[in-house]
Amino acid sequence: MSLSIALTKGRLEKDAVELLDLCGYGTEKLKNKGRALVFEDTREDFRYFLVKANDCITYVEHGVADCGIVGKDTLMEGGSDYYELLDLKIGKCKFIIAGMKDHNPLTMSGNIRIGSKYPEAAKRYFLSRGLDAEMIRLEGSVELAPVLGLCDGIMDIMETGRTLKENGLVVYDTVCDISARVIVNKASFKIKRQEIMKFLTDMERAVERCSE
Amino acid sequence: MKEIQIPSGMRDILPGNSINKRHLQQKVEQIFHLYGYLPIETPLLEFYETYRSSFSRLEEDTLYKFVDENGQILVLRTDMTLPIARVCATRYSQEKPPFRFSYCSNVYKVRQSFAGKRNEVTDCGIELIGLDESSDLEVLNCALEVMAELSEDHYVLEIGNIRLFRRACDIAGIPEESAAVLSDLIDRKAMTEVKQMVDALNLREQEKEFFRRLPLFNGPDSLAEAAEYCFAEELLVEIEHLQCLQEQLCVLGNRDHITFDLGKVPHLEYYTGIIFEGYAQGISSAVLSGGRYDHLLAKLGRDLPAIGFGVKLDVPVPMVKDTLPEIQKVYYRRGEELQGILKARELRKRGPVTLIPEDTEADV
Repeated sequence: MSLSIALTKGRLEKDAVELLDLCGYGTEKLKNKGRALVFEDTREDFRYFLVKANDCITYVEHGVADCGIVGKDTLMEGGSDYYELLDLKIGKCKFIIAGMKDHNPLTMSGNIRIGSKYPEAAKRYFLSRGLDAEMIRLEGSVELAPVLGLCDGIMDIMETGRTLKENGLVVYDTVCDISARVIVNKASFKIKRQEIMKFLTDMERAVERCSE
Repeated sequence: MKEIQIPSGMRDILPGNSINKRHLQQKVEQIFHLYGYLPIETPLLEFYETYRSSFSRLEEDTLYKFVDENGQILVLRTDMTLPIARVCATRYSQEKPPFRFSYCSNVYKVRQSFAGKRNEVTDCGIELIGLDESSDLEVLNCALEVMAELSEDHYVLEIGNIRLFRRACDIAGIPEESAAVLSDLIDRKAMTEVKQMVDALNLREQEKEFFRRLPLFNGPDSLAEAAEYCFAEELLVEIEHLQCLQEQLCVLGNRDHITFDLGKVPHLEYYTGIIFEGYAQGISSAVLSGGRYDHLLAKLGRDLPAIGFGVKLDVPVPMVKDTLPEIQKVYYRRGEELQGILKARELRKRGPVTLIPEDTEADV
């Protein structure tokens, strides 16, 4: 049976395609995209499509995609009705809490306001520390918010830390490590078990070869 | 103009789908009937307190809540198992078990908005109360018959046993709180997090290996594989119990339709033994789900073992093509209603008939 695989556009895309290449899959069409949205693998019975990170979860939960490749940051914010079977070790970064120098949101008194693209995950983190913080949902340029005084701190993903530094922000805590994962629709995993296990084994080997 | 809407997650079921759904319902209920289950209906509303005292980890935000005229909190039922268990523990408190009940009712859960999920679904299932594990085979066999009726040949019933995980935690000395977190990770097959958590627990290497592999002990041949990693005799006993079920289900002709998943460990506080889900090709979520819940009735006042399963009737419905019935039309002139009705009465012996005044049709 054929597999549909949802890939996350942008940051993860290039590394994910490289892993698919290492598996020996036919990804030519994914590399020369043009205006197409769905791409057939030229060797395996796979269909790929590129979607935004949040939508990747939705496609998999509804079973339109059997598998998806998406960042752990997005998974921590979104639903949980899927299997999360493999760490691809690409798109590595960290979830961090940052704020202005001398203004640590984790130790301040009074009402804490946190800006984030990930309000649900941030809420859970603050609750786990026994802090009741107010979340402000932001869509981008999160570093700007504490600089301009919109919030006391941010929870965001950090790759190198350069952007934070350039904006005068200090990292106060690391919440967890982030990397891309393979998620699988639960029903697909039962009905197309062999195909999906082969895909996972191939990918796992490719990940191992990458880390060597 | 102001548009009249319906609440989030609700759906109107129009005739095409409604007919299909009833058709499915009849087929499933006929199986329950032949297995000797008796139909039961319970109120749409229950006291919140009944739910709260029965589930130690109640998902509060999934409940529709109301307040009645005395200030008591009411909820829309989220399942049929609890109401039926309540009936058994109270109204049948003096009767001799076992009890076999079947139901087909709507149940309600508040779900994530804008995710294309439904908050009202029709649940059609059975509860067998008062018999121990010896009845597992019978119930599994019934579930397989239902799956065959719903999806012809392309289905699989996946069986797990939550006691394997529970025993393993007990023997390895994993505290209750950690076991609950671990069960959730294993159930979601979150492999990276399972590994992290297991490595951080104070366990022997053999035990770690077992828990790390547990999410992937699935598939038709997984029992033998799992047996190799069992670190205690008690765990092997659980595997052998499942192997025995497997053999018997094969004898009953289900070889191609059963599989196992030992990493299926949801709701640790609720299920106590076997747990199963039915999947059909082309349907992206479980069609049927059930399991053994031997502790629930004690919480309601009568200690009886129990097992049951339900089919989400709305899930398989879109798979069936709409089939509207053929309806004959009888036209009559104004003032000749009586003749029309007499003619229709005659024709109804052969099927549905509608009456239409001659001049209305012309206007359309």
